[in-house]
Amino acid sequence: MTSAAVEALEITALAKIIDELDYYQLLNVGPDASTSDIRKAFHVSSRSFHPDANRDLVGDLRIQCQQISKRITEAYCVLRDTRRRNAYDVKKSEGQSLRIQIAEARNAHVEQRKAERLGATAQGRQFHGKAEAALKAGNLTSAIQHIQMALTFEAGNVGFKSLLDELRQRKKELG
Amino acid sequence: MADIAVGIDLGTSNSCVSLMRNGEVQVLDNAFGERTSASVVHFKEDGSVEVGNSAKAKVIHAPAETVSSAKRLIGRYYFSEEVKKAQAVYAYEICEAPNHGVRIEIRGEEFSLPEISAMVLREMKQIAERHTGEKVTKAVITVPAYFNDNQRQATKDAGRIAGLDVLRILNEPTAAALAYGFGMGLNQRVAVYDLGGGTFDISVLEIGHDIFEVLATCGDTFLGGDDFDDRIIDLLADDFVAKHGINPRNDPYALEKLRLAAETAKNQLSIDEEVEISIDEVLTNDAGESLGIRRTITQSEFAVLIQDLIQRTFKVCDEAMQQSDLTVRDLDGIILVGGPTRLAIVRDAVTQYFQQEPRRDVDPDEVVSVGAAIHAASLVGQAKDAMLLDVTPLDLRIGVAGGLAEPVIERNTPVPIEQTRTFTTFKDHQESVQIRVYQGDHRMAEDNTLLGQFEFSGFEKGPRSEVKIDVTFEIDADGLVNVTASDQATGQQASTQITLSSGLDEEEINQLIRDDVAGRVATAGSNDAILTPAPAPAQPTETEAEAEANASPAPELSEPSPATGTPELETDESEQEPSLFGDGLTDLSLDRPDDLCDLADLGDIDDVGDVARLGNNDVTELDLMDDEELIQLTEEVMPGENGVPIDSEANSTDDDGSDFEPSGVALSGADAAPRKGSE
Repeated sequence: MTSAAVEALEITALAKIIDELDYYQLLNVGPDASTSDIRKAFHVSSRSFHPDANRDLVGDLRIQCQQISKRITEAYCVLRDTRRRNAYDVKKSEGQSLRIQIAEARNAHVEQRKAERLGATAQGRQFHGKAEAALKAGNLTSAIQHIQMALTFEAGNVGFKSLLDELRQRKKELG
Repeated sequence: MADIAVGIDLGTSNSCVSLMRNGEVQVLDNAFGERTSASVVHFKEDGSVEVGNSAKAKVIHAPAETVSSAKRLIGRYYFSEEVKKAQAVYAYEICEAPNHGVRIEIRGEEFSLPEISAMVLREMKQIAERHTGEKVTKAVITVPAYFNDNQRQATKDAGRIAGLDVLRILNEPTAAALAYGFGMGLNQRVAVYDLGGGTFDISVLEIGHDIFEVLATCGDTFLGGDDFDDRIIDLLADDFVAKHGINPRNDPYALEKLRLAAETAKNQLSIDEEVEISIDEVLTNDAGESLGIRRTITQSEFAVLIQDLIQRTFKVCDEAMQQSDLTVRDLDGIILVGGPTRLAIVRDAVTQYFQQEPRRDVDPDEVVSVGAAIHAASLVGQAKDAMLLDVTPLDLRIGVAGGLAEPVIERNTPVPIEQTRTFTTFKDHQESVQIRVYQGDHRMAEDNTLLGQFEFSGFEKGPRSEVKIDVTFEIDADGLVNVTASDQATGQQASTQITLSSGLDEEEINQLIRDDVAGRVATAGSNDAILTPAPAPAQPTETEAEAEANASPAPELSEPSPATGTPELETDESEQEPSLFGDGLTDLSLDRPDDLCDLADLGDIDDVGDVARLGNNDVTELDLMDDEELIQLTEEVMPGENGVPIDSEANSTDDDGSDFEPSGVALSGADAAPRKGSE
């Protein structure tokens, strides 16, 4: 078989399963690949699938190859950026999707602030919610207990910590 | 016969064409032996056109019939700053075309910017044909990395009108890096500092194993050597006013004299410590006296004049370094591109900024066209493959509520790339949605460039939230944007190669190609006996023959140019895709300046209230129609995700269409919508 024919088969096969591959599989790297591994893998894949390397393709094969190329770029774009990669790993592990919007990372700091305020884990959010409810009901002691619980799930949550400090301060003032 | 594919650097001030043959790149000189030709188009009385340095010389006598710096205007809207600036600076007539387009009026005829650039490109094509003795039809054309889609598309159109198959629109700094590193087996990180006649780009690349990956690119399309000239012009003009009490800026002939003198002085300052500018007659006053000017400018004086402009380039460099996650110490080389980088003032400043001497083995005027030629050869299989992995220079955004534009593909994302977002209708039995696409780095829609808009209406009507519309944004390897909307249920599709409202439509381009408008370019040397023959066989090619035939005033050329937009063309267009565009293009194009205000407009504040009330943490609504016809965006987002907003249809704001400023109240309303409400 000619190399062109092999390539055609490869393109068709890959195009068929592309939606079932995660970004790591697309780039053919392991889940703990370094940024430099990811860059190298992107270069290798580009040699095979970039439109410039496939100018001679026609018809469906051309379209399939372009689709692969674009998906590979997307994978690279997410995995080379730590923030995006983290967001993607979380999303993938939650079984939500094998893809992520690349613009999502732009809002990452907003997300983080929100997570700090409301909690990044289900339990953290739950106890934070209970603390807020207790506070509303005027039960300061209960609110402190709940936020302490929340902190056991998210020890590093700056938002929870400052809320706890604030509540303790208020309790002290009340005597 | 093997394909001949050339590389063309279509510059603001000068253009250059190169060809790679047998592994060697040759910069092709014109009939005058010059390796670059002025990107200046002079229209003669007989309707024929002259391009290059001889055309540039005509500017003093016929400033209104001589078009320079067309690249500053290509792909721009008539209302843009750049057009206003050009109107103040250039003597040729810049007028408005339908859809806020720009036309140049010369001797009663109107030309679009792609047509003007096509004439420059035709000249480059003819230079190549003189050298090869063969017809040249394939080319890679370079553009500033920071060009937006409108400018890229218009440049590509120019290539087609010139009779070229444009293999690739290539970014200038990327081309320069390719010329620098091709076949050298380098493993380096480099910065390309590209200060041209009218634009500034900085690109940071990683080169390894003949893969050229752009890590980041930033730029300013309003900054270049022309601005340096302007500073000298101002100096001279102010002197003149002080001395004679007459402003030479008001006289187009006088202004052109000052411009030429300024440019000459600038070029001389890249060699000499000081220059003397002496013009015997800038203009003649009412009493019939000729008034001249004489002034010396030193390097240090000039440095003060342009200091802020140079500093502006480093602001852009800061951004590029930050975006590429590198510091200047990580760089192995600095490549200078563009005539102004010959100035010692610029080189010194660059050396200081990057803490290293820029490369001296790269010719700043030719390197871009050389890189383009290498890539052209590689694309037609005549050179070994160097991979160019480029990025998109600007955020691609979708218009959303509150006059905002939300990014879909961020700048410095590698291309080609595609992103799909899913929208759903909000109103029961909603019939259409309006998609607006912007490019730029600004949150406010109006601060970005509108690439295009289209209405998607072919989908099956249904209860609200049940119709799912996928909008796919694609940027190809040329950096060109394509947006498609499709209905998940029916597969009904509407797509638009996002076209510049001020550009040319497909039919107009085809007409210009048929008319061979670029054929007006006189074949250099055909009517000039003193020219030395070109080194390569100079027998006239078919194209040259055609060009000569068209160089004489042919009757069809005096007919109204199709570029003026006949009603039939518009009808054709709307008939082509009636189901996709509802009532046809007229509804979608920007017919009145007011419409543009509408784009940025919010509609009334109640709309936003509605949006806010309807929100929840997982879904944000897109107000893509009037206040009643909202559609929602249901992205696959994590709970609590910062949602993607909203666009308002132009019609919804008819009442206050003249209100350009989106209301502050409305803005905070939109912002305060669901997610930030609890902050």
